[in-house]
Amino acid sequence: MASELTLNPATTADPADAASPWRSPWVLTALCVAAVVAFWTATGSTPVVFAHLWKWLPVMLRGLLVNIEISVLAMALGTLVGLLIGALSLSPSKALRTVTRWYVQAFRNAPILVLIYFTTYVFPFEIQLVSWTFPFPDWIKVVLGLALPASANVAEIFRGAIQSIPSAQWEAAQSLAFRRREIFRLIVLPQCVRRMLPPWMNLYASITMSTSLASLVGVHDVVDTAQIASNTVARTDFTILVYFTLLTLFFAYCYPIARATRVLERRHDRF
Amino acid sequence: MIDGLLPGLVAALKPLGLNYAFALDASERAAFVRGLGITLQLCLLTIPGSLLAGVAIAAALTSGRPWLAQPARAFVEVTRNTPTLVQLYCAFLVLNMLITQQLRPLGGANPLTPFVWVVIVVSLHKGVFHAEALRAGIEAVPRITLEAARSLGFSQRQLLARVELPLAVRFALPSLVNNLIDLVKMTAVASAIAVGDVTYESIMIWTQRDNVLELLLLILLYFGLLTWLVSLAGRWLEERWRMPGYGQ
Repeated sequence: MASELTLNPATTADPADAASPWRSPWVLTALCVAAVVAFWTATGSTPVVFAHLWKWLPVMLRGLLVNIEISVLAMALGTLVGLLIGALSLSPSKALRTVTRWYVQAFRNAPILVLIYFTTYVFPFEIQLVSWTFPFPDWIKVVLGLALPASANVAEIFRGAIQSIPSAQWEAAQSLAFRRREIFRLIVLPQCVRRMLPPWMNLYASITMSTSLASLVGVHDVVDTAQIASNTVARTDFTILVYFTLLTLFFAYCYPIARATRVLERRHDRF
Repeated sequence: MIDGLLPGLVAALKPLGLNYAFALDASERAAFVRGLGITLQLCLLTIPGSLLAGVAIAAALTSGRPWLAQPARAFVEVTRNTPTLVQLYCAFLVLNMLITQQLRPLGGANPLTPFVWVVIVVSLHKGVFHAEALRAGIEAVPRITLEAARSLGFSQRQLLARVELPLAVRFALPSLVNNLIDLVKMTAVASAIAVGDVTYESIMIWTQRDNVLELLLLILLYFGLLTWLVSLAGRWLEERWRMPGYGQ
């Protein structure tokens, strides 16, 4: 309900609909929602369920922020490690290539939930460095658990992008007297970045959705908050509402990413 | 044979710091093996289930009828952009509760177990991805091939059954196999609603024995085996259905 209000600013900025904002379904939905909310507040006839939801919504949004933080950190770490591993998987050394292939295979074929359990329960809850003790909270362990599959996927995306550059370009650049490093930096890499962006964004969306699994190892994320809200209020209609709000929140965050990915993909098709 | 072999294996792994003593306890071993079986059952049910759902959704998407295609498109977008766990909660905690409440005054028990809900949700979730792969496959069939077949006097049904679908399925096969590998991994979410799959049974064991690493290694090996089998089947199908003139 009110969550749809938060959904709209992100999606109404669709360039395709910019010409006729009044005909966009998003704008219409937002207007309807705003009208209903205004009517309820004006007449003081807000249904009890929505009053409850209104009270819980800030807590849920804070929970969603935890999910977003986890996803951003996991993706940043996963991208760094993944690029390194992707680069190693192209190295001339056969031993290195084998090791990286095993890494990629292992972490792409493991269920993400199992990896999260792995990092949460195997790592200690605090780290002793010389004489200081650092806490090692669960949400950081979840970040690590998600960074593992992310890095394996980024490595594959990187390898695929490098290999999709025709080798004739290397030869042509060599004949123009570019050095190996220059070819890589000036010719291959810029094209790779463009090719890697859509699958990388897909991966980000899927990692964001996987952050919901953090609730299973006791991180106070949005799913956990929804469960607490549903148990606290203990009304059938509120339970329905809160879980579908949860669905809407994730959709509101991930759908614009998916749309942007598709726009990018279509733009690259033309080149 | 198991009685002779297992203690030996457990004793051999002990010096490596791996404590597999749970395997010697008859009830815990039985629980773990049951978990292995449940995960296998989940895979064996969701693979055909997701393929059926995928064909149905792809048919709706490519039907050309807006009243069918638009709801299907909305379903695809919502399913792709929300976490499976949340979908599972929406189905099991919300829909299941509603069904139970509706049935209670009638005196009937809810026939849908958590296991059934996992099969339904995972099948529909992956069915959406299958549908997208199939749609891409259908769109990849060259127009000119269809025109040629039509000019050779194929009827509309023959065209679909003999030319368009066989080609589309072959084009879609690599991504279908990829989706199925994902699906095998996804069955681990079943543990979230206490379906006794291998992950759930392992959690039960490691809360007693504190041997998380040992059990996780077993789980990873098991999922590795399952995904390997799926990819093997996929490669076998690709080999069998190879078309001259496509790929290497």
